[in-house]
Amino acid sequence: MTQEERRDALLQAIVLLGLAAYFVFNIVSGNITNYINARFVWLSYVAVLIFGAFGVTSLLMLRSGRAFSRGDDHQRINLPIVMVMAIPLVLGTLIPSQPLGAEAIDGAVSFNAFAGLNATVVQKDPLERNVLDWARVFTTNKAPGTFNGQRADIVGFVYTEPTYPEDTVMVARFTVSCCVADASPIGLPVYWPEAEILKNGQWVRVTGAFEARDFRGQLTPTLIADAVTPTEQPEHPYLYP
Amino acid sequence: MNITSSAKKKGGLRQLVWWLLGVFIVAALLVEMFASSDPMTTLSIFTTRFLGIFIEAAPFLLMGTLVSGLLEVYVTREDIVRWLPKNPLLSTVAGTLMGFAFPVCECGVVPVTRRLFTKGLPMSVGVAFLLAAPVMNPIVLVSTYIAFGFGPMLIARFAVTALVALGVGLIFALSARPQDVLRPTSLAPVMGGEVDLKLIPLTPQPPKRGARLLSALRVASDETFDMGRFLVTGSLLAALMQTAVSQNVLLALGEGPLLSVVLMQVLAFALSVCSTVDAFLALAFVGTFSSGAILSFLTFGPMIDIKSTMMFTSVFKPRTVIYLIVLPFLMTLWIGVLVNQLGVF
Repeated sequence: MTQEERRDALLQAIVLLGLAAYFVFNIVSGNITNYINARFVWLSYVAVLIFGAFGVTSLLMLRSGRAFSRGDDHQRINLPIVMVMAIPLVLGTLIPSQPLGAEAIDGAVSFNAFAGLNATVVQKDPLERNVLDWARVFTTNKAPGTFNGQRADIVGFVYTEPTYPEDTVMVARFTVSCCVADASPIGLPVYWPEAEILKNGQWVRVTGAFEARDFRGQLTPTLIADAVTPTEQPEHPYLYP
Repeated sequence: MNITSSAKKKGGLRQLVWWLLGVFIVAALLVEMFASSDPMTTLSIFTTRFLGIFIEAAPFLLMGTLVSGLLEVYVTREDIVRWLPKNPLLSTVAGTLMGFAFPVCECGVVPVTRRLFTKGLPMSVGVAFLLAAPVMNPIVLVSTYIAFGFGPMLIARFAVTALVALGVGLIFALSARPQDVLRPTSLAPVMGGEVDLKLIPLTPQPPKRGARLLSALRVASDETFDMGRFLVTGSLLAALMQTAVSQNVLLALGEGPLLSVVLMQVLAFALSVCSTVDAFLALAFVGTFSSGAILSFLTFGPMIDIKSTMMFTSVFKPRTVIYLIVLPFLMTLWIGVLVNQLGVF
């Protein structure tokens, strides 16, 4: 192997093994669910295995001093190409891992809580329903007043816009089918007299009962909160439809 | 002009394009960051979106390149040609489905097809295989299923790809003679093709058992970098688009039944992302672009993009390359618009 080939093989090994380690770290720390649906985490194990196998291959080449035959027609993997593959590694390690939150909601779109959901009936105990479950229940039953008095216990992040009344905020979650590429926000309006102390993006737990109220010009089941407690970001920040 | 200097010019131009793209992405990101009220949060959101696509897609990229490497070293291609049915229609159908037996990414399909032509593979079969194989394979089936679930998009992707590949293949069967369409180095020796050993060398067979596996892994590893750079770039651009472009603009572009389809086709051509993972990029557009547009991204992209166009020029004469681009473009455009008009899904 030439000096240049040795250098390239070494760099490739570093990037490949680095990416394998990055995936391992994400899985072990739980950060992986900031990016993909929890049921696809097994695929990341596959990535670890194959990145690892390729990385080891490069190391074996270096150790033996011979380049394994590449066959014909292949693009030579030069330094710039290796550097492009290093970009996910660099961004992933330098920037702290964060799930999408209130800031990722595009304010230009009207934040319709019930948009794009299938009308599936939820069999859960009402107090165990999350934001997504409630949104689905509301979609099946059009009359907003049906839920007056029903109690709920939900966790979500606070989302507020200047146009919202001071005592009302949205408590929202992102739903993810596959990965963050399809993430879309849904939420429930929450009425709480002290709502102005809540910060955009803050995670809270809300208990209360629903009452149909006017929200942004429409009669909507609004959660009248008894208690709003700050809480930790959940282990799986996204809900899976 | 001798070969080396024109090749160098092409190489230099390509390098320049990559550098310009890189500068554009960094500049756009910086603009976006400092236009917002909180630059670090914008950067964080951008990074999350980018890594989300990359992390979901990486396993599929790796599975694709691994299979490709193993195929290159372990499978001989002579057998394929012998097994084909004699009837031209049936053999073209077989060509369309062959990808399930030989899962190659769009990058691997061109060298494989070229090798098969030199072994006497009929034109129509080769063209059908060339266009269909990037989608007609198990890995793309799984990744499309994971991205879109079991539903109309999954089924339509495969049905439309098969139809278009079959259609174009048959057109070549009816009207093209190999020597008019293929470059001399791609013709079978009996048709006057020169087997230029420098351009189509046989993969050397190393004597030791383990050495073949290591060779396969090396090929696969190199291909991961070669294809990976398109995935990384495509993911950066998709994440940039989701972060920088407002939903309203995207909705306006994505609603028009014709414009949205054309835009998606152009995007698919430009992004040149591997077919094993492009479903995850398409997801980024599902909320804003029409179904017909998404479908055309998923059917036209794997057939024709910058990278595959470059490779076609090494197998086919220039006029043929143009037909190979225009026919699938028109067919997928028509189907995409039709899907939008019928409102099927």
